[in-house]
Parts: sequence; C-alpha cells; structure tokens
Amino acid sequence: MTARDTILGRVRQGVGKDDFAQRKAAAQGLLAARSRGPQPVLSGGLVDRFRVKAESLSSTVEAVPDLRAAPAAVARYVAAQHLPPEIVMTPDVASLEWAASGVRGVARAAHDVDRVGVTACFCAVAETGTLMLLSGPDSPATVSLLPETHIALVDTACIVATMEDAFALLRAERGEIPRAINFISGPSRTGDIEQTIVLGAHGPCRVHLILIGAPS
Amino acid sequence: MTAAAKHSQAMHFQARAGEKVRNPVLQRALQKAKPLFVGKRAKGMAALADDALDFETLRTACEAIRNRTLADLDVWLDIFEERAKATGAEVLWARDGEEVGRLVVEIARRHGVTKATKSKSMLSEEAHLNEALAEAGIRPVETDLGEYIVQLAGEAPSHIIAPAVHKTIEEVEALFAREHGRPIETRTSADIPDMTREAREVLRQHFLTAEMGISGANFLIAETGTAALVTNEGNGRMVTTLPKVHVVVTGIEKIVPTFEDFATLMRMLPRSATGQSISNYVSLLTGTKREGDHDGPEKTVFILVDNGRAGLLGSPYQDMLRCIRCGACMNHCPVYFSLGGHAYGWVYPGPMGSVLTPLYTGIENALDLPHASTGCNQCGSVCPVRIPLPRLMHRLREEQVERGLRPWSERLALKAWAWLAGRPALYRWMTRRAVRYLNWLADDDGRIRILGMAPGWTAGRDLPVASGRTFNELYKARKRA
Repeated sequence: MTARDTILGRVRQGVGKDDFAQRKAAAQGLLAARSRGPQPVLSGGLVDRFRVKAESLSSTVEAVPDLRAAPAAVARYVAAQHLPPEIVMTPDVASLEWAASGVRGVARAAHDVDRVGVTACFCAVAETGTLMLLSGPDSPATVSLLPETHIALVDTACIVATMEDAFALLRAERGEIPRAINFISGPSRTGDIEQTIVLGAHGPCRVHLILIGAPS
Repeated sequence: MTAAAKHSQAMHFQARAGEKVRNPVLQRALQKAKPLFVGKRAKGMAALADDALDFETLRTACEAIRNRTLADLDVWLDIFEERAKATGAEVLWARDGEEVGRLVVEIARRHGVTKATKSKSMLSEEAHLNEALAEAGIRPVETDLGEYIVQLAGEAPSHIIAPAVHKTIEEVEALFAREHGRPIETRTSADIPDMTREAREVLRQHFLTAEMGISGANFLIAETGTAALVTNEGNGRMVTTLPKVHVVVTGIEKIVPTFEDFATLMRMLPRSATGQSISNYVSLLTGTKREGDHDGPEKTVFILVDNGRAGLLGSPYQDMLRCIRCGACMNHCPVYFSLGGHAYGWVYPGPMGSVLTPLYTGIENALDLPHASTGCNQCGSVCPVRIPLPRLMHRLREEQVERGLRPWSERLALKAWAWLAGRPALYRWMTRRAVRYLNWLADDDGRIRILGMAPGWTAGRDLPVASGRTFNELYKARKRA
C-alpha cells in the first residue's frame, strides 16, 4: 500500500463518513461561495488608514500628486538616505521618466549587490498598511526582497480595505493566480535575540512608500 | 515504540524540570521574555476594538474554519492534491518522520543538491530532517535567526515561534564568534542590531548558493493548491524564491478551504503569536516558476505528513488538530515560563506540547506532561481556535489511569483512599485527626512550612492550613444552629 493510500485510509476512518462524492461536491460548493468571516469596520478614509498603519509598521511615506512625480520623489529619497543613485526596478515601472530624475535605473530581477529596489504593487490593504505584490515577468519577486532599501509606488486608487477585497480584485483582474503573492508590511524584522526588535533581518531594512495621487 | 518516541526525552521531564529551575541563566532569559509576550498579545487583541472586531467573535470564526476542514479532511486533502498538481507541483505523502527524511533526500539527490536552506518548520524537527540530510551529505542551513542560533548550539528550539528564547545575548555572542571565526566581544543589547547584521551577511550567501529551499506551511489553501507562509524576517521568501527546488513539508491537518478563510485566520495568527496585526511577509505560493518569470523554483514538491495526526481524527483529542501553532498557550503558561521548552523533551513545549507529545509519541512515553499544568486554563482562554487544552490534558490523565500506567504507589494510595471513603464513620474519625495534626504542624501565622510526611510539597512554598475543623464538623455545627 502506498503512503498516500495508507494516510488517506486512516483519515477516512477517523472522519467516519461514506458518501465521498457527495461531500466533495458540497466542499466544492463551499469553495465557490467564498464566504467571508467577520469583517473589520474601518473608520475614516482608506488612504489615511493605509498611511497611518504603514507608518506604524516602520515604513516611511511620501505623497506625490501623480505618477510623473514618482521618479523625482525616488531620487530625493535616495539622496536623503545617502544611497547611490542606482536602482534596480521591476519592468512594470520602467516606462517612467527616470533619466530626468537623476537616478540611473535598470529593469530586471535583483542581484545581491543591488542597494535599492523600486517596485509598483498590485494593490494595498488599508486595514494593516500592507502591500500586495504579484510575481510575474513584469514584477520579479527579488526586487522587493534582496536590496536593503525597497521603494514601492502605491497608487491611492488601488488601496482596498481588507485582504479579502485584495483577493476579490485579484480574481477580477487576473485570470490566473501568480506563482507568488507577497503581502509586505514594512521592513523585514526579527526579535530572536532577547526579544529585541531589529529591522532588516533578511529582507529590506528600509521600506519607503510613494503614495501616488494623494494630497501631501 | 514509534519512530517519534525514539527521539523523545519526555520521560525525563521531572529531572529536566529540576535542572531548568536551578539554571539562573535560563531563568533570566525566561523572566525577560514572558511579560513581553503577554503584553504584546493583549495590546494587539485590544486594538481589534478600533475596527469593531473582537477576540471572541474572531476565534469562533477561526474555530469553525478549522472544524469544517477536519470534519471532511479526506475530501479536502483530495481537493488540495488535485489542485496543487494542476499547478505543476508534485504532491508526496509521508507516514512518519523517517519517510519525510527519505523523500527529501531522494529529491535532493535527483536535483544534485549539496546545500538546503530552511525556513523554520516544526514538522522538520518532528522528522529529524536535518540529521537525515546531513547523513546523506547534504548541508541543512537554518535561516530563521532563532533557528540558526539553536542550530549553531546543537540544540533544539525551545519555543515554536521564538526558538532561541532561552538564550542570552552572551551565549549568542559566543556562538557567533565561534561560527563566524572572530574573537568574542562584550555585547550589550545595543549591539543586537550588529549581531543581526552579522548573521544576515553569513546567511545571505547561503540563500544565494543553496540549490534547495525547505519550508513548512502555516496553511495549505485547498482552493488553489497553495502554500501560505508567514514570516517576519523574510527568510521564508528567500528559501521559496531563490533555490531551484522548493520542498514544502507540512502536516495533513493544515488545510483551509479558501483565501477568505485564510484572511480570517490571519487576523488571529500574528496577533496571538506576537501581537502584530500582520506579519511582515505573508506569501501565498502556488506551483512553480511560470513562463517569463525571472525567479521562483523550477520544481515544487509538497510532502504531506501524517506522523500520528490521522489517529486523532474521530478521537477525544480531535480538537487538538485545530492548532495553528501560534504559541499563545505557552506564552501564557506558568509552567512553561518556569522551565522553558527543553524540559518538555520533544518538539512541542508548553500546553500544546503536553497534549501533542503523548499523542504523537505514545501516552506511555510522556507520562508527566499531562500533569505539567496548574489547571489555570490561561492557555485555553487565549487559544485562537478555542482548543480546550486543560480538558485534553485531563483526558490524557484519565487514560493513564484506565491503562494502568500510573505508578503502584499512587494506585495503592488511591485504593486506600477509596476503602476509607467507603467507611463514613472511620473516615470522619481519621479526617478529624488529620486536621488536628495539620493545625499542630502550622506556625502561628497559619502556614505549614514543613509538611511532615511529604516534605517535597513544602520545599518551595508554604501550605496554608485548613480551617481547624472538618467539613462534617462544620456542617453539623451549622445544622444545630
């Protein structure tokens, strides 16, 4: 008997029910229904909530009026942090006017030596101040992971209330679930030495958000 | 003896507990940690009210999600397997820990793997996976900072979410100096960021060069055949993004139906663990690298592990399978914080370990653990999936009695008690004498400092004396009045 048959046999015995086909149909019905659990009631606007939460998770935030202003905002941040003006970016933001901003950008997956990574995000979750990034040809997952500084462009029109809303948006806009959905909430952190919180465990130690289309 | 029991030291609980209580370094580490864990969780739960949510409502929902999958686990496993395979992942099954080791080594050999980076997985501790890999000449590198520290120390984790909670900064410094080849320096808490950076740089090179990444899964989502991974450090993302092979080793009970169910559970898991409203990285991993993708594994394998889990279904202990491994029960346990995790002798410490260890390694191989509880129910009251932990420990104690596993002295004492209790006149006479005797033992302040026949009871604490008369005497006096 294979391990699979043995284990499923034991499970079936423990579950103690027959009518497998009927129960499977019921389970598939449950999947299709996608009912939600208790939902939070967020007071105030989504953009404000997102911003407050993101800052409480040690992200920094700058608001700019529109997407064209993003490269200059990135350049300002990089200069203020005394970082080299060389960035790796996801291809989905490569069409912006980087040259004029003074940063030299290259669109590709990130390497270990890259110091600054710039990405967009699929959407953002106001409840927890979280970014939702999808892996794909236009958005390699390493850009938000390997560089010490991650700068994300967040379109305020793409801020949703909850993770459930983010999933609904994903299903509506993409036919297929990407290999990796990454929810990112601030810089990487650890508390494993004497419960002292340190930012920058393995991922970025700085996360800077550029809010696009928000009053500053 | 089961394979799991071979590695268990749970039968030495009493001896180990004694050592741990007398270890001042450990006690210092534990006393520092406890208020942080408790305070952070309380604050996180209180903040739910800002969004018109509350702990009880959410945990009722979480309990229901977990119960729903367990009630038809055969169906949900079937759906998960079907959908995971459709994404290009391979799904394997392991009856026990040894089988996990064999399967992972086989996969590693097939792909020419010499080094595997690991994201924290308690199941891989159950399976002694690191030993199996090392024996096969494959280097396992733990990458969660706490796991890395205990791996350097040659120890097992002492807490399921804070593996090195028992280590002081001096101990970590000594390990890092040895492993990273530099002299030991005097470190204070101000140096913890530097030490973290040092580990980051060493581990980064391992992330970049390992051919295989091994992770657990906090949940398996049936809807899409997805593994959900929750970390703060980002090591979970590293080991599932950079190596060409990703192996997910996880228990068969980890399934939840939908993304929506996952979102509900995520409102409770990080809050219960660390008080965070969300962990820094939550990754939902489905299948392998797609066409045009720059990164991601070319091969993804799920190993779904039983190792005793299926036996709990339909048993009086089924509720235990709801566990989402948040650690809240141990964080609130007076016994855990007196001893640390190693005293428990197997993979899982604290109240959840006192239930799981006997169930997974044999009740006869962990006799003390169900008794390692004050019955205060702090664990049960903070559990995000409402597992009645004290009741399950109680049930295990009953089973010890039913199976004749209690020591002869205890059985004899209880028999004597039963004999006495069946003779009311003699019982009343004896208890009157006993109460007088205890009164005589007590000091003027009404506390017994040395209990004559059983001095062990008063070695570490005083016993308050009884009222001076037996219940029967008091009852009679009252009736007369």
